[in-house]
Amino acid sequence: MNYSFQFNVVWRNFDALLEGAWLTLQLGVFAFSAGCLIGLVGAACLSFAPRPVRWLVMGFVVFITNTPALIQIYFLYFGLPEFGIRWSNEACVLIGLTLNAGAYLTMILRAGFLSVRSTEMEAGETMGMSLPQRIRYIVVPHIAKSIYPALANFFIVILVMGTSVGAVIGVDELTGQAINLSTVNYRWLEYFTIVALMYVVLTFIASIGLALLGRWAFRVKARIF
Amino acid sequence: MPHLAVNDIHAKYGKLEVLHGIDFDVDRGEVVSLVGPSGSGKSTVLRALVGLTPVTSGSIEVDGTRIDYSAPRAVRAARDRMAIVFQQYNLFQNMNVLRNVTLAPTKVKGRNRKEVEAEGMELLKLVGMDHKAKAFPDELSGGQQQRVAIARALALRPEILLLDEVTSALDPELVNEVLDAIRRLASEGMTMLIVSHEMSFVREVSSKVVFMDNGQVVEAGDPSAIFDGPKSDRARDFFGKVLRG
Repeated sequence: MNYSFQFNVVWRNFDALLEGAWLTLQLGVFAFSAGCLIGLVGAACLSFAPRPVRWLVMGFVVFITNTPALIQIYFLYFGLPEFGIRWSNEACVLIGLTLNAGAYLTMILRAGFLSVRSTEMEAGETMGMSLPQRIRYIVVPHIAKSIYPALANFFIVILVMGTSVGAVIGVDELTGQAINLSTVNYRWLEYFTIVALMYVVLTFIASIGLALLGRWAFRVKARIF
Repeated sequence: MPHLAVNDIHAKYGKLEVLHGIDFDVDRGEVVSLVGPSGSGKSTVLRALVGLTPVTSGSIEVDGTRIDYSAPRAVRAARDRMAIVFQQYNLFQNMNVLRNVTLAPTKVKGRNRKEVEAEGMELLKLVGMDHKAKAFPDELSGGQQQRVAIARALALRPEILLLDEVTSALDPELVNEVLDAIRRLASEGMTMLIVSHEMSFVREVSSKVVFMDNGQVVEAGDPSAIFDGPKSDRARDFFGKVLRG
């Protein structure tokens, strides 16, 4: 191999990569958090709602989980303007990722709902707790603990694989920034080597953060590695 | 007027009728025990009282007022007055002992948290569990969990406490600690409806015993009459087997 690496090009533009990493983190955290809310409502509907509502939710889940996130984002970015709805590229990625995460999280959280002991729910019911109260105080803490590793993994998937889709429609998250910068001086290998390492650092920080959060909030004895 | 009157109630699980007309009364301050073989419908009666198993016909009255179990508000009102303790404790696993006890009074009844916590500690003391207030259910023995479950039910300030085979899931050496807690409540005048297989305990604490079989009340009366001189063949046969030795 007679390629000579020139990382000084990357360091000169490192600020832009850091900005991209920050946007990646923001997109990941927001899409995951909002997706959790959608997933929670979806899972609650699949567990407790009347049949037509369950069908509706299942339809949403089947549609989203069986089509690529990129196509969903394309639909929002290129399709909606045809109907007079015009969102920025960041908004399209954010909404697309959120809906995508919401569908997957509906199924992940549903598994958590199914694992709640019905006896605890009965106890809550006899103590006068309403269904939303039982979900809030019994189901959510239970699923947070029992499926915490699955949730944490999914967050990493969103953070790394989900957000980078944004680059395709010009969102300057980490991958997008790398593409922008490397097209200027063709130092693809240097940029993507550094960006790959930055993703590793990002997921490393996220993993530690999630593990600490799990231990603190839900008594999950999660292993960081 | 009885505190609790159960009048000819019928209940079904799916298509299978499991209660075929149950009648009995509980007076204020009285301890009534439901005894009988497994599958006779004793637990179903308790579940019907708190609205977990729908009653298909008959009526349940508290202080002469019939409870309409089809109306959510009436069911809530009934659950305000009757609290149930389950065989498997059913504690909330994600909360510590004190939070288990204080959750419903604070979140359902909207009472002041500090006041409820102080009362919760008193109740835990009553059942001998105040030293484990910060422990989680999975750190406790079955007997300890059951005593917490009793404190949790009492925190709702029920007029009638329903105890559903509260010692059946416990190791023999843990049974007494739970029974002691119930004895203490009985001596303080708590109205209780108990489903139990602990015959000597039932005999000791009950003011009335209702013997059930196959979803019906076979006979009812004071403990000595039921245990020493059961009138029906079925009760004689049952007590002959369970009291032997």
